Amino acid sequence: MPTRIAVVTTVYRYLTHAQHEADRFLVGYPHNGKWHRPDAKIVSLYVDQKPEGDLSGARATEFGFKVYPTIAEALRCGGEKLAVDAVLIIGEHGDYPRNEKGQVLYPRYEFFKQCVDVFEKDGRAVPVFNDKHLSYSFEKAKWMVDASKRLKFPMLAGSSLPVTWRLPDIELALGCEIEEALMVGVGESDPMDYHALEAMQCMIERRNGGETGVKAVEMIEGEAVWKAGNDGRWSKELLTAALSRSDTPQGLTVKDGRTQDLVHNGELPKLVKDPAAYFIEYSDGLKATLLMLNGALTDFNFAARVKGLGLQSTQFLLTPTPNVTYSACLMGKVEEMFTTGKAPYPVERTLIVSGILESCLTSRIQGHKRLETPHLNVRYQAPRDSQHCRA
Amino acid sequence: MPISRREFIGGTVAAPLLLIAQKPPSRPKLAAVCTIYHRMSHAQHIVDRFLDGYGWNSTHHHPPMDLVALFVDQVGNDDLSRERATRYPQMKIYPTIAEALTRGTGKLAVDGVVLVGEHGHYERNEKGQTKYPRYEFFQQIVKVFRASGRSVPVFNDKHLSWNWDWAKEMYDTSRDLKFAFMAGSSLPVTWRTPSLEMPAGVRVREAMCVCYGGVDSYDFHGLETMQCMVERRKGGESGVKWLQAYRGENFWKAHQAGVWPHDLVEAALSRSHTLTPAREGFNDILPTLDDMRRIVKDPVAYRYEHADGLHSTMLLMSGLVSDFNFAARIEGRAEPFSTQMYLPMPDGRTTLANFFTPQVNNMEKMFLTGRPAYPVERTLLTTGLTAAGVESLFRNQTRFDTPHLAIHYQATKESTFWRT
Repeated sequence: MPTRIAVVTTVYRYLTHAQHEADRFLVGYPHNGKWHRPDAKIVSLYVDQKPEGDLSGARATEFGFKVYPTIAEALRCGGEKLAVDAVLIIGEHGDYPRNEKGQVLYPRYEFFKQCVDVFEKDGRAVPVFNDKHLSYSFEKAKWMVDASKRLKFPMLAGSSLPVTWRLPDIELALGCEIEEALMVGVGESDPMDYHALEAMQCMIERRNGGETGVKAVEMIEGEAVWKAGNDGRWSKELLTAALSRSDTPQGLTVKDGRTQDLVHNGELPKLVKDPAAYFIEYSDGLKATLLMLNGALTDFNFAARVKGLGLQSTQFLLTPTPNVTYSACLMGKVEEMFTTGKAPYPVERTLIVSGILESCLTSRIQGHKRLETPHLNVRYQAPRDSQHCRA
Repeated sequence: MPISRREFIGGTVAAPLLLIAQKPPSRPKLAAVCTIYHRMSHAQHIVDRFLDGYGWNSTHHHPPMDLVALFVDQVGNDDLSRERATRYPQMKIYPTIAEALTRGTGKLAVDGVVLVGEHGHYERNEKGQTKYPRYEFFQQIVKVFRASGRSVPVFNDKHLSWNWDWAKEMYDTSRDLKFAFMAGSSLPVTWRTPSLEMPAGVRVREAMCVCYGGVDSYDFHGLETMQCMVERRKGGESGVKWLQAYRGENFWKAHQAGVWPHDLVEAALSRSHTLTPAREGFNDILPTLDDMRRIVKDPVAYRYEHADGLHSTMLLMSGLVSDFNFAARIEGRAEPFSTQMYLPMPDGRTTLANFFTPQVNNMEKMFLTGRPAYPVERTLLTTGLTAAGVESLFRNQTRFDTPHLAIHYQATKESTFWRT
């Protein structure tokens, strides 16, 4: 019997997350060298907003499912009891307000809570995938993870960056000793910094002792970022390593095609008008930094100094639009959870990164001050096997 | 007065025709011989990496060698070679190839030559081949070698020549003069998604590359994509017996008739990151045959048989994909073996054509060791296959026998593609 899926989403337009993620279950997707057709069927859909270009009605007609006016009805397929085997929550895109920290208030927690209400009332819970971070609020995110533990249903969440192709295809050995880590990202806060933070987290969670939580964060912006580099608060060696993986340096490369050593040729401050650095101090002493360098490049690159191995670096390959095949990598993992009943990697990763991001943005509006984060004492172990696309 | 190394060599050459293969110096000096040097030309991508360095293994790597001489055949308004020579004064621009190689000394004065004969304004012949002067440049290079009684390693970008006889002569000359000779496309050495190598010594029954571009252009890249994989099969490369090209309606007829295996087409398409959506509103959907007929306006196939019975097929499907995808049927495996040779293409997707990075890195290895990193016979064969494809198309898509392509060679044991 195919897995019966309910999709709960904010908006279903061309190239929204809902479209390119849910569609994988309708028309198949490239997976391990085949056009894979999941043994699954979308049976119901809830969509919060239907702006111009809405595809939900057309999809429902073509693929034989129904669009319901509420989440509870979608999960019960119009009946009395939970009538699906799995739920896909995709709360990205759509018109939602931002809070004072600049976070888009996507209703992921609210959607999830309504699913949990149905699970509780109907006495049965099914696996849930939540696209991207759990919530803009760590408190709400924590509630979500706790609910999945309480009701004992498998839960997977997060970005596609941890599971996409890597150039080169590296994985840090489980139990390695990471001396320092740095991630370079681009794009707007809070959607894109989240992707970058989760990409870094999926690498460093493999360190000796596993993840033991974050004790403090600090976010700085502007000139202070360059000064922090000169003061050694972030490593230029690691930034060089990360940028050595970039295919998208801007400035002189765009002008005349030349390669550039951006860390040492003096161009970086000219290209990046509004740099930001997110400093993360982990409970076990590891220091990690995210540099958001809009204007310098357009891809996502990681570097770390690993004891015994030296510098390790890679690019998280965001394959081109419109195929965005990285979302096929992610749906492959979602399908794996729906089939096996086990999340292939811990949702705690997404929980801690949701909290790191929120606290960094809090630091930002509180004068870029260092914030202690005792609430981020999230502990977990990384999966033994690699979970990114490599086959 | 101490005798310089060059004077010493010049003074001790016993006879002009005695060519001595020498151990390369620890920091070689190079000459680059190029057709044109503008933004996004192959010369810009390749020569710039020797001058400005490039990202490699977690650092900004500067090749441990000096590019000291440059010849550029065509200098237009968009030329960048003069700007580069200003920024890198150790690199001098010379008006002739001979002067670039001798650097005003009358004798060969470099330890390696990079020949980049791609881009620039050159005539096309009646078969549609662009007459890039790689053979002519090569002849001028070996003239200096002969006159100097010494030869040095040469890298030739892309295929050896549009003209098979000339390509064969280039190869034979490199053997006669005993210099390390390397050539080809960046496709064999770029990233792969997934990062897989063809297992050595397997029996391969069918190989396929689904890619894009034009005849006497990207077809060569598609052929190199396949060849760098199938050359690792049991027995090594044994040469190609015949090739047949299909274009337009003949292509679709052949496809429908199952001249090439559909499962390998689907496997290759399933590796693409650039599949044109066959339906509006869908971002990534497998096309049907009707979809493909609508999307691909000018399809081209080269199908050919190797001497050991392997059949290879290269499909140029411009409009449907803009990447290079490989699939093969290997004995003992139920599923096709497939990967994409990933090009970070600066057509809007990236700004740096970083597939030139592993190509330059492999050149460096040759210039440092005096040995090619991979066999030039691969490119000799793909040069012949490219010309055979053009010939078959020119002869109304008839089968073209290729006894001249009985080229035998063994693949390198080590992988040479970008994986670190």
